[in-house]
Amino acid sequence: MSQRRVAITGLGLVSPYGGDLPDFFSRLCAGQSAATYLQTDDVPRPLSMPFVGCPGFDPEAVLGKPLASMMDRFAQIGMSAAFSAWDNAGLPRKADDTASRDDWGVAWGTALGGTMAYEKGYRELWQKGRERLSPLTVLLGMNSSANAQISIQLGLGGVSMSHTVACASSAIAIGEAFRRVRSGEAAIMLTGGSDVPQAYGVARAWEALRVMAPGNAETSATACRPFSADRRGLVLGEGGAALVLEDWDHAVARGARIHGEIVGYGTTCDHTHLVRPEAAGQTRAIRLALADGGLQASDIDYVNAHGTATAEGDPIEVAALREVFGERAAALPVSGTKSMHGHMLGAAAAIEAIITVLALRDGVIPPTAHLAELDPACAGVDHVTSARQGQPLRAALSNSFAFGGSNAVLAFRAAHL
Amino acid sequence: MESIGLIRDFLKDRLAVEPESVVPDAVLAELGVDSLMMLELMFEFEDRFGIKLSSDLQTPRTVGEMVSLMDGLIAKSKS
Repeated sequence: MSQRRVAITGLGLVSPYGGDLPDFFSRLCAGQSAATYLQTDDVPRPLSMPFVGCPGFDPEAVLGKPLASMMDRFAQIGMSAAFSAWDNAGLPRKADDTASRDDWGVAWGTALGGTMAYEKGYRELWQKGRERLSPLTVLLGMNSSANAQISIQLGLGGVSMSHTVACASSAIAIGEAFRRVRSGEAAIMLTGGSDVPQAYGVARAWEALRVMAPGNAETSATACRPFSADRRGLVLGEGGAALVLEDWDHAVARGARIHGEIVGYGTTCDHTHLVRPEAAGQTRAIRLALADGGLQASDIDYVNAHGTATAEGDPIEVAALREVFGERAAALPVSGTKSMHGHMLGAAAAIEAIITVLALRDGVIPPTAHLAELDPACAGVDHVTSARQGQPLRAALSNSFAFGGSNAVLAFRAAHL
Repeated sequence: MESIGLIRDFLKDRLAVEPESVVPDAVLAELGVDSLMMLELMFEFEDRFGIKLSSDLQTPRTVGEMVSLMDGLIAKSKS
């Protein structure tokens, strides 16, 4: 079977800034952080940490009460992002007779799944002494609830699957969706990811790893500083982002707007350690993505880095880029946008894929925010510290490197080429 | 008729069904109550009245049948 070109025809997200997709991208390009100081009323010890939330997201307003009540917050945010991407692609939500959706599918990333539903259940059992839980608990809590609801609501009869690969979850989901469209198995795949990490037990577990940046009401906005000499760690965030991947000819035939082209996907495992990353594994993933996309290193005009702002992660990522790009690495534009939208775990790669596609489409590279003094260990690439435009961008990579040693890299090409 | 309030509240909250539509002859499925929602309704009933339902209960078809079932169980629990 000949390989198909894969167009990106729909982009959608639940923006932590509260606005729409253009607003999201313009704020990123302005270097505006979405991180604030989260303070909860959890007992016995309230959470207080820098966090990127979606406070303006009203699931009942977006989804309607009956549907919203059948979902955990991670699925609500995911469903909302999916609807946005679908609408953005110009596809009707209700299936009609003009096109069978039997081979259209969903590949969704989530690192955590419906932890809010399970945590609510634990509180009922252990704090309130209840014997039984709501019969919806399993259905809200299961990792596949987001992709299942998306398939049901949009009438998609092809594969519906979830991918749980820690921080690379939605990169893997997008990559697997891409392969299905490229092979001709599916004309359209809706893909992306969503996660909600502010469940009390989950947030406390992340604290225990000592990778979270400290902050208070004044400093939370600048708490995540990838590649910076004074970086202190990551900032967790909730979010959801979705892309519609479509057979290029199918997209052209229906007159769809094409935002960009996804051309390559490389995934590897370091196979050495659960949390200590290895440049060798990341290097192999980047090279696989380039080869898969028929790209040379010299074709790449931008890399959206994984860039979590941890002590160990950032230098390893830059080392991998230096290894792949060689002498050209010093002129390779790189930015870590988690400095502004935080680390959305299973949604991280999806929101960064959208940012990468928008950078290519609009010819604007968003910056790494709060990078005043570069860590010498992270030197060797062209760190973009304020939005850059003026040159058309040809191709770009989006890196995602996860606990467990799983690496996933996506390669995109501008649609105008 | 203690249970009709619970059923009306539930259907209003979950399906935006107006209380005046929740009459004895109304078929639950036609109001939008599927098998999963029926489980939720049973759960709400257990919670509100402190009564445990057996797992082999015959599923009611109409609002009237549901009310009879629930009110019967409430009366039994008080006797």
